[in-house]
Amino acid sequence: MTESGISRREFLGQLTLLGSLAACYPAAILASTRSEAQPSPAWLNQDPWKTIAEVQQHMFPAAKDTPGASDIQATVYLRNTIQNPATDGENQEFVFNGVGWLNELTQDQYQQGFAALDEQQREDVLRKIEQSQAGRNWLSLLLTYLLEALLADPVYGGNPNGIGWKWLQHQPGYPTPPEDKSWYKLATPVHYQRKA
Amino acid sequence: MSYDFDVCVIGSGAGGGPVALTLAEAGYSVVVLEKGPWLQAADFYKDELACCRRSVYTPELSDEQHVIEDLDSAGDWVGEATSESGWDFWNGNCVGGSSNFMSGFFYRLKPEDFRLLSEFGPIAGANISDWPIDYEDLEPWYTRVETEVGISGRCVDHPLAEPRSTADFPYPPTQEHPVSSHISDACRELGLHPLPTPRAILTKSRGIRRSCEYSGYCGSYGCSSGAKGGARAALLDRAVATGRCEIRPHSKVYTLASDAKGKVVTAEYFDAAGQVQNVDAKIFVLACQAIETSRLLLSSTGPKHANGLANRSDQVGKNLLFSAGGSGSGDFDYARMSDAEAQTMKTRGPFVNRGLQDWYFINDKSLGGRIKGGTLDFLLRHPNPISKAMSEKWDDNDRLVWGRPLQRHLKSLFTESQYLRYEIFCDWLPTDNCFVDLDRTVRDKWQTPVAKVRIGYHEHDLKVGHYINKHAIRVLEKMGAQNIRSNISGSPPQNLVAGGCRFGKDPARSVLDPDCRAHDVDNLYVTDGSFMPTGGSVPYTWTIYANAFRVADRIKDSL
Repeated sequence: MTESGISRREFLGQLTLLGSLAACYPAAILASTRSEAQPSPAWLNQDPWKTIAEVQQHMFPAAKDTPGASDIQATVYLRNTIQNPATDGENQEFVFNGVGWLNELTQDQYQQGFAALDEQQREDVLRKIEQSQAGRNWLSLLLTYLLEALLADPVYGGNPNGIGWKWLQHQPGYPTPPEDKSWYKLATPVHYQRKA
Repeated sequence: MSYDFDVCVIGSGAGGGPVALTLAEAGYSVVVLEKGPWLQAADFYKDELACCRRSVYTPELSDEQHVIEDLDSAGDWVGEATSESGWDFWNGNCVGGSSNFMSGFFYRLKPEDFRLLSEFGPIAGANISDWPIDYEDLEPWYTRVETEVGISGRCVDHPLAEPRSTADFPYPPTQEHPVSSHISDACRELGLHPLPTPRAILTKSRGIRRSCEYSGYCGSYGCSSGAKGGARAALLDRAVATGRCEIRPHSKVYTLASDAKGKVVTAEYFDAAGQVQNVDAKIFVLACQAIETSRLLLSSTGPKHANGLANRSDQVGKNLLFSAGGSGSGDFDYARMSDAEAQTMKTRGPFVNRGLQDWYFINDKSLGGRIKGGTLDFLLRHPNPISKAMSEKWDDNDRLVWGRPLQRHLKSLFTESQYLRYEIFCDWLPTDNCFVDLDRTVRDKWQTPVAKVRIGYHEHDLKVGHYINKHAIRVLEKMGAQNIRSNISGSPPQNLVAGGCRFGKDPARSVLDPDCRAHDVDNLYVTDGSFMPTGGSVPYTWTIYANAFRVADRIKDSL
């Protein structure tokens, strides 16, 4: 036993794990994830989700070696999160209202919805709404949920097969939660009553 | 007269667990009332959302909050509800309390901590007081915690080692991260004495508790293996197994009713459905963590206790303690290392387990001679990836970052360097500006007044913190760290809280007697960290456990 208190065998075991993460990422995993991608559900092609998905795509674009918002299933994650029974309804209302405000602004300015804008127009309009407190809060909330979709446990619908963890060479902890132990199932009955 | 139970314990954390176990094992009937749910090891996963980003182990702040009173820029004390500020002062409301979520970093106090006033003299503006017991009085129970709770470690010859009655810890140390030996080397080159940090974590299985599985996700997380020595896994499960201890989760005690003679007769509580229930017992033991214990005493008025239980001398809630000091960190860039070294630094799982107590006492002319110092502990950056990523959400001009720049920052943050942290623990001097009271306007979801906490600190605490920080930075420099940054402040760490119900010999200046029984209520004891007149310069949990076992033995003798 060395001063570090960890045996060589255990240490090599950890090296192997880290090594394999680094070696097989990014292109191969990303390519296989994209080829396995499920056809997108109907709700995703309708507002408010359509616009939300486009905003997320702008905030987290895909590249050859970088998973984008659709690779991390950011929209699915957001939908699961704001529609679960333990989440305050206020958040969902705010997210949806924001979509309305955004599209009103783009209609006014470009005579089309956000989804139809080019990349520079998208950047300009999002930076413009960042100037207002409500716009800033809305973007900040979407960004928070995006980062959660990237790095929360896959059981919540984002980060499929740990794609976000692999991209950032992040080693998750074990055991990971099964579906029946997700956070909203563990929250107390008292909590449920208030939310009902 | 017959009672529902011999003993009613309110709160199921490190203060309540030892009492429930000791008395149930001794043949007495015990009920434990816990405000939160009864989660088991099988409910705990390495889920950052559950542990740290949603209200699962602690209440929603809109349901239950505190009012935190701080100085504004004009020098006035101004209160703000935590439901407004988002500054959460809950630490774990479920069976086992916050001990479920500790990282189990355990130190004993030192003999001098029991007599801070006589050892170092008074400090203007601070209410320093000696304890009514000595280190020797508590030592047998510190030792008992090592086996009852399970503490792993390795005794080393050290100039500041506290006396112990056994040769070494009952469990060998946890596996150590490779960076630990680098820390030790740097410290020794600086003439310092690195200490292996003891942990309340099993390194061998014991009953249904398995040995640590080294997931690398310990602090803030509930333990899935049972290795962590929280009160639930280590004590309460055993208490329940005696058949004489009943735990009632979702039981929020809002008052202790007392009779015409001043004795406590019932604990009244709201159950999960919000219905009022009550339980009677011969002895009541309060252990709700310092802030809530003072709140409950102040809320419990009665014919003999117009200002609240145990509050005849108006001392309840006074001299609340946090832990002073601060923290710092430095980066170790993988690009400056060989591949093998970089892989070593990336190891996740084992504990860093290195501390320094070379400045537990400081003798320096620039600080006016010999004063009380503190402890320095090293750790890696917390592995939570979402909270880490969130640090990249805003740029220096307070604008949101998205798109390629965000992705580049994340990639760099996660893959280019390791990040070593240190934490400094110093005494939080007791003052008239740090206390608990009932708020006059804010109420929780049960319509009972919430605790108002004034969080003033003493300037002396910062002086000590800065002194130790200067030395901590040298250790990181010696190790070759880049981008070293640190922060010493008077902002209270809400997870390190004690005081509010001092024990002492003088009923005019303390709430509890030396056995932690209320001076003015014969059948009421307090066994969480509230009893501490001064806090020492280490985390409180081992001392709370030890004292609760000591008091449990006193209660057993009295029954």
